[in-house]
Amino acid sequence: MLTVTSLNKTFRTPAGDVAAVSDVSFSTKPGEMIAIVGASGSGKSTLLSLLGLLETPDKGSIKVDDVELAGLDAKGRTAYRARKVGFVFQQFNLIPNLSALENVMLPLEFARWSVSDREIRAREVLNTVGLGDDKVLRRPARLSGGEQQRVAIARALVTDPELILADEPTGNLDRKTGERIIALLREAAGQEKRTVVVVTHDEKIAKAADRRLEIEDGVLREIA
Amino acid sequence: MGSIKRGVRNTFRNTIRTVAVVTILAVAIALSISMLIARGAVSAKIASVRDSTGTTITVSPKGFFGFQGGGSPLSASTVTSLLSLPHVAALQETLNQELSSANTSLIAATPTGQLGQQFGGGAFTRPIRVVGTNSPGTALVGGAFGGGTEKIVTGTSFSSTSDADVAILGTNLASANQLVVGSTFTAWSTNVTVIGIYSAGSTFADNNVVMPLTTVQRLSNQAGEITGATVTVDTLSHVAATTTLISQKLGSAADVTSTAQATQSSLAPLDSVQTISTYTLVGAVVGAGIILLLSMLMIVRERRREIGVLKAIGASTGSIIRQFIAESTTFTVLGSVVGVGVGVLLSSPIASALVSASGGSSPGGGFVRRGGGFPGGFAGGGNGFTPPGGVPTGPFRFGGFGRTLTQLHTSVGWGTLSAAFAIAILVAVVGASVAVASVVRVRPAEVLRSE
Ligand SMILES: Nc1ncnc2c1ncn2[C@@H]1O[C@H](COP(=O)(O)OP(=O)(O)OP(=O)(O)O)[C@@H](O)[C@H]1O
Ligand SMILES: [Mg+2]
Repeated sequence: MLTVTSLNKTFRTPAGDVAAVSDVSFSTKPGEMIAIVGASGSGKSTLLSLLGLLETPDKGSIKVDDVELAGLDAKGRTAYRARKVGFVFQQFNLIPNLSALENVMLPLEFARWSVSDREIRAREVLNTVGLGDDKVLRRPARLSGGEQQRVAIARALVTDPELILADEPTGNLDRKTGERIIALLREAAGQEKRTVVVVTHDEKIAKAADRRLEIEDGVLREIA
Repeated sequence: MGSIKRGVRNTFRNTIRTVAVVTILAVAIALSISMLIARGAVSAKIASVRDSTGTTITVSPKGFFGFQGGGSPLSASTVTSLLSLPHVAALQETLNQELSSANTSLIAATPTGQLGQQFGGGAFTRPIRVVGTNSPGTALVGGAFGGGTEKIVTGTSFSSTSDADVAILGTNLASANQLVVGSTFTAWSTNVTVIGIYSAGSTFADNNVVMPLTTVQRLSNQAGEITGATVTVDTLSHVAATTTLISQKLGSAADVTSTAQATQSSLAPLDSVQTISTYTLVGAVVGAGIILLLSMLMIVRERRREIGVLKAIGASTGSIIRQFIAESTTFTVLGSVVGVGVGVLLSSPIASALVSASGGSSPGGGFVRRGGGFPGGFAGGGNGFTPPGGVPTGPFRFGGFGRTLTQLHTSVGWGTLSAAFAIAILVAVVGASVAVASVVRVRPAEVLRSE
């Protein structure tokens, strides 16, 4: 369960201050998938990087299962990223010289899983997202965009995190493939009682979510 | 798969770049290695020349030029008084004579040789050299001059104060005259008994007759006279002062030269080789460091996004740093393996090229053409034999030195290899440090920006 209270992030640029996220508060229930929509530059990615502790907030609180994250030190943030969050990116961002399987095993290494368990777990998750056994040893360049995004979702899910953050996961995919990816994320939310936050431009995808939040110039509001 | 293994694997992500970086590193490391080895060889040479030349001062009549004559003999009593000078440890006196076929039964052993014929015009007999000494065993000064000191092969030697009509013969001369221990030959119309056969390791040194000083003085009617003396000083640091003192004492009658002085000036080119190789070594190491540093900088820039992804999915900065250190170390190890191999192969030719380019060599046989009074003798094949007791001036001295100085012995010891290892590590650390600095600065939030 995720609770965000009065979150603020302002970037100082030579052209002036940009309030990318201003006074954002919301909370989610376990198993819920939330869609965040908004115009380009409205602050969607900034909000996600605050939630994933890639960026530190200027002010405010982020709690996952009642644990405060906003004040963690570098070591604590690394551990949180390794165990509690999974990221899915628009550009897939797989490591090009590692096989699909090795890419999925990476977070397990960072979360300090035992070496012997890593491959078994990674294959299991790759199986869940529907990547054929014949393809797990391929490098990303030899997989289609949809297959690469499945591998990326497997990589996000493999440590069984409480929170999945996806920034336009369907942005580089055709509509049909995109819908399958969203279905996968939905499944990930519902079955394991995790929170999934998806940033999207696509209204149809947004409608598939349990709730929709719109952000405009850093200010968040719920859409009924 | 840990971060180290990932780093090693990353080294081979771009084959062309890997080959390029490894090649340049290998060249730089090969250069460093061969400079290290060349320096070692030159230092060892300098040390051994210093050691072997040691602490002796040569005294000879003014203008005397070895067996070619010149000058008039010195009086032994004047020279003997040198023993009372401070720091003089020993005094070795010689009277060198040449016996023509008119006053000896001996014939010279050395073939006239091509050059000898060229200069001597064919039909000519060479005189026999007789070394009268009060210091048997070290009468033929060897070391840097080609042959070693004489060593008795069979029979015995004579005492320093002997006045007997005895001689020890060089192996070549003895066999040419079919003489053995106990045989006799005639010199100055006197029967002389062979009591020993010596070898000094060079054709020319082994073509001499060594006899007691007093005997030669008596037989040649030169009582109390010598053609040269070698003064041994107690320590190297007293050589210069003692040389000056002896010059003052003997005045214009004698030439006084110390081997240490001559060595010093002949070693100057080697010192410059050492300097050159030091600069080249430092240059090559710095070059290798810069190449690796820039390559790593390029690689880290190229992988900014990947570094961000690794951080976003939970990699610690430390593990990413380890990965890049492993990558830069792999480059260095590959470069070192190739570089050490090439460097070891190149070290010997490079060392020789450096030494000859810096003027350390003059051809060993070059002095032959100047030794007009002695055609054939040196030309037959000798390299740098200095007549015992003769004045090792000008072409004699440097002819001999030049040849030996270029005979460098390059060797690869553990010292060199561990120095090379240290250099490689240094280069890898420098290369990785830039990578590390850049890795730390990558903000993981950047992954969420589209390119
Ligand atoms: N590191 C930064 N430094 C300065 N300004 C930034 C930085 N990151 C984001 N911004 C600014 O903050 C605002 C929000 O950016 P953000 O990337 O969150 O928008 P977005 O909603 O994700 O846009 P898009 O839909 O185009 O991805 C923008 O005005 C952007 O220029
Ligand atoms: Mg964005």
